[in-house]
Amino acid sequence: MNSSSSPFQFAKLKTRQLMLLVLAAASPAVLMHTWFFGYGMLLNIALAAVIGLSSEAVCLWLQNKPIKVALSDYSALVTALLFAVTIPPGTAWWLIAMGMVFAIALVKHAYGGLGHNVFNPAMAGYLFLLLAFPLSMTAWHLPQAAVTPASDHSPLSWTGFIESLSFVFPIIQNQTIDIDGLAMATPLIEYKMAGQNAVLEAYREGLPLFSRSSGTGWELVNMAYLIGGLFLLSLRIISWHIPVAIIASVLMMSLLFYSDGGSSVNGTPYLHLFGSATMIGAFFIATDPVSAATSNPARIVYGIIIGCSIYGIRVWGSYLDSIAIAVLFANFCAPMLDHFFRPRIFGQVRWSPLRGQTSHE
Amino acid sequence: MAISWAKRACPVLGFGKRGVKLGAIKPPPHKLESLRSRIMPTPLPERLVLSLQQHQGDASIPCVEVGDKVLKFQAIAEANSESSLNLHAPTSGTILSVDQSLVFSDSMTPEACIVLECDGADNALKVSTTRDYRALEHEHLLQRIEEAGVCGMGGAGYPTALKLRHGISKNIDLLLINAAECEPYISCDEALLRERAKEVIQGAEIIQAACLANSCQLVIESNMNEAIDALRSEITGSSVQLKIVAPSYPAGDERQIVFAATGRETPSSGLPIDIGVVVVNAGTAAACLHAVSKGQPCISRVVTLAGSPLRTPKNFDVPIGTPISHLQTLCGMDEQSHQGTLAGGSLMGQPVLNLDLPIKKTSNCVVAMSAQEFPAQEPVLPCIRCGYCADACPAHLLPQQLLVFSKQQAVEALEDHGLFDCIECGACAYVCPSKIPLLQYYRSSKELMLLEAGVTARSSHWQQRFQYFQYRRKRVNQQRAEGKQSASDNSQQVEQEFSRDKAREEIAAAVARVKSKKSKNQAS
Amino acid sequence: MNPFIENPIFLYATGLLVALLLLLGFLRFISLLRTQRTYQHSIVDLINAELPQTQCGHCSYAGCLPYARAIAQGEAINKCAPGGTQTIRRLSWLLNEQREPLDPAHGSLSPATVAVIREEECIGCTKCIQACPVDAISGATKLMHTVIAAECTGCDLCVDPCPVDCIDMIEVQQPPRQWPSPGPNELVPC
Repeated sequence: MNSSSSPFQFAKLKTRQLMLLVLAAASPAVLMHTWFFGYGMLLNIALAAVIGLSSEAVCLWLQNKPIKVALSDYSALVTALLFAVTIPPGTAWWLIAMGMVFAIALVKHAYGGLGHNVFNPAMAGYLFLLLAFPLSMTAWHLPQAAVTPASDHSPLSWTGFIESLSFVFPIIQNQTIDIDGLAMATPLIEYKMAGQNAVLEAYREGLPLFSRSSGTGWELVNMAYLIGGLFLLSLRIISWHIPVAIIASVLMMSLLFYSDGGSSVNGTPYLHLFGSATMIGAFFIATDPVSAATSNPARIVYGIIIGCSIYGIRVWGSYLDSIAIAVLFANFCAPMLDHFFRPRIFGQVRWSPLRGQTSHE
Repeated sequence: MAISWAKRACPVLGFGKRGVKLGAIKPPPHKLESLRSRIMPTPLPERLVLSLQQHQGDASIPCVEVGDKVLKFQAIAEANSESSLNLHAPTSGTILSVDQSLVFSDSMTPEACIVLECDGADNALKVSTTRDYRALEHEHLLQRIEEAGVCGMGGAGYPTALKLRHGISKNIDLLLINAAECEPYISCDEALLRERAKEVIQGAEIIQAACLANSCQLVIESNMNEAIDALRSEITGSSVQLKIVAPSYPAGDERQIVFAATGRETPSSGLPIDIGVVVVNAGTAAACLHAVSKGQPCISRVVTLAGSPLRTPKNFDVPIGTPISHLQTLCGMDEQSHQGTLAGGSLMGQPVLNLDLPIKKTSNCVVAMSAQEFPAQEPVLPCIRCGYCADACPAHLLPQQLLVFSKQQAVEALEDHGLFDCIECGACAYVCPSKIPLLQYYRSSKELMLLEAGVTARSSHWQQRFQYFQYRRKRVNQQRAEGKQSASDNSQQVEQEFSRDKAREEIAAAVARVKSKKSKNQAS
Repeated sequence: MNPFIENPIFLYATGLLVALLLLLGFLRFISLLRTQRTYQHSIVDLINAELPQTQCGHCSYAGCLPYARAIAQGEAINKCAPGGTQTIRRLSWLLNEQREPLDPAHGSLSPATVAVIREEECIGCTKCIQACPVDAISGATKLMHTVIAAECTGCDLCVDPCPVDCIDMIEVQQPPRQWPSPGPNELVPC
């Protein structure tokens, strides 16, 4: 036996399987993305995965670390997936490459690799692109078919694929597509202006919910993330503390500041939960264990910080959606939260931030 | 509904005092294999090896000589202090040695052992039996238990009589019989309860009478169905109550079981007796019954032989001192798949490096390991702070933080985060997806901290002695100065001077003597 | 009235600032409470607590406390040979000073020792008894002396005064660590 002292028996779950389960939980949402926005999302993911894995391999090689062992934990794949679904579909390849290399090389490996990064790599990569290329990060290039269903082909057809490909690799640009005409603003803006939710609207107007023109895309994508998140929760891959705290605080904030018919329309709670990226943020991004707070009481506070920041930045800030900023902001706080919010140790008298002075009997 | 939710949420937030849900894991139990057959008697080996250190505490002193013929139940070693145990011959035979030295894996220090060659006749000393133990005084019961050399059979092996005496002095009100055998592979208590439930219950009554406890609960895990049935049929009419707890690891730990059964929380630096509870293992209860009503000292115990290399894993009634290899041969060991042996279960057991080591009063299980059940260690990956370990920790520690501080050797932070509240159950290392040897880090840090505490204690002791030395020198100098002043006549001083000269001469002479001696030595 | 003050934004901002200040003040309060005990000690006591208390005087001061006083006045922290690198490290943490190797002028890194008197050669001169800073040597004039090993700090102050050189410094047998740190065995170095 290799180990010379107890324990000798171990659970079967390994880091690799954990990451694979996260990928599996996100897959329904990815399919939903693809259904509504065409192949751009899949291209994003594929490209980000390839670049992420290769830049991780290079970083490991530079540091003389065992490449195969570290690559097979699949953490780079999770980072790539989260990065790829946050940027608009049809982002050019060089933007994806810049974001992923920033995320993996600078945010992850410069801090010491897996388990040592202070910030969420995917969100840091996205924020980097958002600050450097704000226009590209807010314009959603969609295949013509997804925007105007009157066109004669489906966005999931071969033509749609070629269209999406041409956004990612502008070299093979198809001259027949007017890119400017296809750029659309992020849905949150539209809903913010409209102040109503698309599912009800589509239902009232008799539109099929899953058709691409119904405008229900974001809500159903969010539902898919919610289902994936509940799947992770039921397997206890993630603990309930962070998602529940985020969703509860976003809900609370949006209820508190909701003014129906007032001069400043802050959006309905429904819009804040399902018309934006709240669900992926709560279940997939903020629960990244490495950069989050690690004890359960600290996780609750961490989630509240994220939830409040999401709402505050969305409504009063100048950024459209704010998951990335909120998560990175909470990452700053995580070590302090871990220090101050600890569970009461079994057998010690009371919970106290002044541990070490009073808590021993 | 809402209240119960709030009750559950509060401790999670860290504010509640009571009602904490303790962390636990549910490893595959691997108990069915050894529970297929009944408890088997062990054919006597050629010789028995009885360590003088059967338990925690002081070693006993042998009271037989080499070559002596002893009978079954005869005392062969006597208690040396109150934390020491009497030791009796498990069978009749001849003493071959009284100081053979063996290294056991739980202490790693050599222990003196008595070697007894069995003559096979199994002639027993006549022992006095007691019809009705209920009529006996508690002091008498305690004396019987003490004479029989009964110690805790769950693992730590604290002398039972001593534990009960402590309990009486602390006015305990509750006796818990611990039958929550939570560790994988170990099934000796379950087998004992299944087949000898009556003995355990009577033993529990004896212990309750001996330690003057108001009530007695027998705590058992809900998945031990046959044992529960057996207990239910025997328990009517006795003062013992049955308490069924959910099966999880480490439910059988003293602190956890007290909490599960009563909701009382053992203080961090205290013991269950501080909150009025004495916890005794089920096997110990049976041994106490034998000690009191049959007058038989503790000479055997039930031991589980488990592991896939054994053809027929089972529980044995083993005389103390039987070598492990003898038991494994009885179970039909497959040498090819055998990779090593553990004393104890798979989560808290220790590797057995020498299969000739004997069973002690505290050995509950011997696991033969195979490569299928105990695969080689996975590569250790960095901690991703997933917090599974914190959810599994029964002491509510933060193992992921302790790991960081252990690597940094940040002693103060480790103490602040409660490293010494760690009970070393290994639940954190069990669940870790990165396969980090967490417990090894904690043990290493604990050892380091104890070493550092020793160094600090020593240096403050030196400091005190140095301060006293300085104080004394100052006082002597003062006295001298005063003496000089008072005797300003120089007669004394001359004498002193004279004597000092004389002393110097003597020293010089002595130096010369030593030098000549040295040179002689060198020459020779 | 200044119209700026009437602006609700001003109120919000002021309230936010006050809340932030209160929060920071609270955190500072907590951290003050946590470190209160440390403030009760003088710096000399803190330094002295890190020194090994062998009282050997190799640092050229008469005992550990005088050296601690000197460090508090700005003396170098790398003069304690018995404490070795461990003491220098802890002192550098405590005083936030640069960590330096041990000053070779004040001894070398060596394992812990205790003094042992070769008793057949001892002439009973009591010189070592007077030299011992912790009274670890017992004996009387013209009678054999011996070192109480458990009390000996290994300072070797008794070696020089002995006229017959019958005192040896022998290494203390350190028991091996039962639980070595598993760190180096990890496959992915962190």
